[in-house]
Amino acid sequence: MSGGNRRGRIGQEQIILAIAIVVFGVFSVLIRDFLSAGNIVSMVQSVSVLGILGLGMAITILGRGIDLSMVASMSVAIAWMLVQLNAGAPLAQALPMAIAFSVMVGILNGILVAYVEIPAIFATLAMGVTVYGFGKYFLVESDVNHLPEAWRWLADLVAARPLGLPVPVIAFLGCAALAHLALRYLRDGRFIYAMGDNPEAARTTGVPVRSMMVLQYVISALIALLAGLIMTMLVASMNTRIVSGTLVYDVILVVVLGGISLSGGRGGILSVVVGTLLIGIMLNGMTMLNLTFTAQNVIKALILLFALVLDTLINPRDEQTAQQGDI
Amino acid sequence: MTTPLVEMTGITKEYRGVPAVKSVTFTVMPAEIHALLGENGAGKSTLTKIIAGVTGASSGSLKVAGQEVAFRSPSEALAHGVAMVFQETSLVPSMTVAQNLYLGNEKYYNRLRGLTIAAQQFLQRLNFNVDPLAMVANLGAAQKQMVEIARAVLQKARLIIFDEPTATLTPEEKRHFFALVIRLQQDGVAVVFISHAIEEALMIADRITILRDGELVVTDQASAFDRDKIIQAMVGRTLSGALYQRHAGKVRAPGAKVLSVQNLSMGSMVRNTSFTVYAGQVTGVFGLIGSGRTETAKIVAGVLKRNFFNGGEVRLMDRPVTYRLPRHAVLDGVVYVTEDRKLEGFFDQMSIAQNLHLGRLAAKGPAIVSYAEMAALAEVWRKKLNIKTINADAQVIELSGGNQQKVVIAKSLVQKPRLVIFDEPTRGVDVGAIAEIHQLTQSLADDGLAVIVISSYLPEIMNLSDRILVARQGRIVEEFTPSEATEQKVMYAAVH
Repeated sequence: MSGGNRRGRIGQEQIILAIAIVVFGVFSVLIRDFLSAGNIVSMVQSVSVLGILGLGMAITILGRGIDLSMVASMSVAIAWMLVQLNAGAPLAQALPMAIAFSVMVGILNGILVAYVEIPAIFATLAMGVTVYGFGKYFLVESDVNHLPEAWRWLADLVAARPLGLPVPVIAFLGCAALAHLALRYLRDGRFIYAMGDNPEAARTTGVPVRSMMVLQYVISALIALLAGLIMTMLVASMNTRIVSGTLVYDVILVVVLGGISLSGGRGGILSVVVGTLLIGIMLNGMTMLNLTFTAQNVIKALILLFALVLDTLINPRDEQTAQQGDI
Repeated sequence: MTTPLVEMTGITKEYRGVPAVKSVTFTVMPAEIHALLGENGAGKSTLTKIIAGVTGASSGSLKVAGQEVAFRSPSEALAHGVAMVFQETSLVPSMTVAQNLYLGNEKYYNRLRGLTIAAQQFLQRLNFNVDPLAMVANLGAAQKQMVEIARAVLQKARLIIFDEPTATLTPEEKRHFFALVIRLQQDGVAVVFISHAIEEALMIADRITILRDGELVVTDQASAFDRDKIIQAMVGRTLSGALYQRHAGKVRAPGAKVLSVQNLSMGSMVRNTSFTVYAGQVTGVFGLIGSGRTETAKIVAGVLKRNFFNGGEVRLMDRPVTYRLPRHAVLDGVVYVTEDRKLEGFFDQMSIAQNLHLGRLAAKGPAIVSYAEMAALAEVWRKKLNIKTINADAQVIELSGGNQQKVVIAKSLVQKPRLVIFDEPTRGVDVGAIAEIHQLTQSLADDGLAVIVISSYLPEIMNLSDRILVARQGRIVEEFTPSEATEQKVMYAAVH
């Protein structure tokens, strides 16, 4: 959006928003209780974690990167924090260590991509596997790590409704607003768009491309940590097995669906919000229609494919991106 | 009258509703050499791409050897004997010459030796001096072109289309290329070539076609043209040489010493080069491709990746500097305006305003972006450089080559440099914009900046420079003052 879409042209954001409204309408006719306040709140709440992860992913993709290690770094950092809390450590120790862990993963990702010059998709894929393996071997023993009783009040925080909205939703919207403003009004935000648009030109113009790349992965790791905290508040535990699930693909789904191009520099935070909205409605409706988990996965996969095709049609790979390579 | 080899009638090609070629009627006779001239964006490339099956026409008819055709791919065109050689070669760099020649036509089982021998014999028959076992990546531009031509001939092309064949060649290689074209003609192959060099077209072509704004202006025998007539047809107005007339006698005196390079070396590209650049002057650097002029500039401005200094010293305002990133150079007021604007010049998804403002942000700009300031900045520079655009939000990719180049230049100038290095500032730029860019370089020097203009186009160097440096084989070999320099002297220094 702030990347410079032409005005007056219908973009992917608008298309997806229209589809979301249509799907919402269909579901509210088909499904009883779909429109109930309780359902709508739980619907938004359940996708806000996905949305927050999407914000981090969006920032890396806008800068012509991608972060496939987000889910791994999130689950290991949070699980490690829970292990420490269970061992009796204070939050004031466990949380900063989790933050330090995430920052380190981000820095390593950034170094691999910016200085060693490994394509982001491979660097972060390998980093995700490494972080998970390292975490399971040294830091966390069991798959499921519960929030200790002493800290249950954290989970109860979720039930609180400041401004009438659940905490996860406020966190998502707050982060989205911050990310939007940062990308649009901060110099570094413009730098990310410039890098995604044309990394070589950004370099010659004097953009500190390499340090911006490191920053980008640190931000995505920190956003992942925040998403993990919210997730822990929601279910009072962290299951490290989510790393082998489809969560990371769902994150890419909400990002690409809303119109952030994998070739970088195109789209904006609003795209993530719109994508999250549609996926939230779909998932909730499908669950209420009693579709099996597998059937839902098939539908999600089809939507992801559809979004990728749409991306390629709207943003055709030109000679230039072909030369420099996508992602 | 013989049947034309290619006959296009009423060909129109639209991109997103904007016509690139408007109802053009164009013929190519068998075994003729046909030059296609026009400013950038005149539709030359589009027209030839339609003949070669790279893109399809929106409307109109195309006949090859009297037969109505509509090519859907270059291979279909090739089956009808039409081959195209692009500016960027389509050879596979990691394969040998022989493998490239037979690429796509291999049998199920290939003996490498058999392939090499066949290629050897074929190349000898064409009298091409290329080693079939050489890796294409190691060949020079001219040799790559030979391989491309050989491949087209091998595939029995009756028409070979060249897109700017001489742009990357040295004078020596150019002569060789023209000899080749004439030999092709003697073998009955027709040649169409797109060119910016008017003299070349006059010298070698049988017929010349001139396009302007997608429309055909004139097609005639080459003997019916002269330089002035061609320029007039290209731009639609008389410019006759005024563009490259030396600004009468006015040579600026050198100001303070801004840059001095001592014994700079890097690999085989830059060898022990030394020179000095002064404020308030345009220093022209003339050199042929491979003379190390671009590399030297890129070392100075920190643009070259992994620049392992093999030695030497760069001093800016008498302070030794070593830039390993363009950012450091930019912050010190040294900007490099690239010769390849598409690859490393502008941000194609951004508007003109966003492009310019990014230049400012990157040069210690404010941490918070003000969109009002961005718009004001764009307005100032759009007026200053006469950047033509439909609206302020237009993306740079939609502009013409000349306007893109102006945006790239403006993006560097907003960084308030004290040393500006222009590398081929008018490559792929239309005649009108060339004049404006030349004026701009002059006014920068008048304002006291140190300006370096690197160019392989002699009239440009002769016209702009207050001092002329000549680069050859990785070093600056000679210096001329404008009064003593003649085109012959400068060229002699560059090639010998």
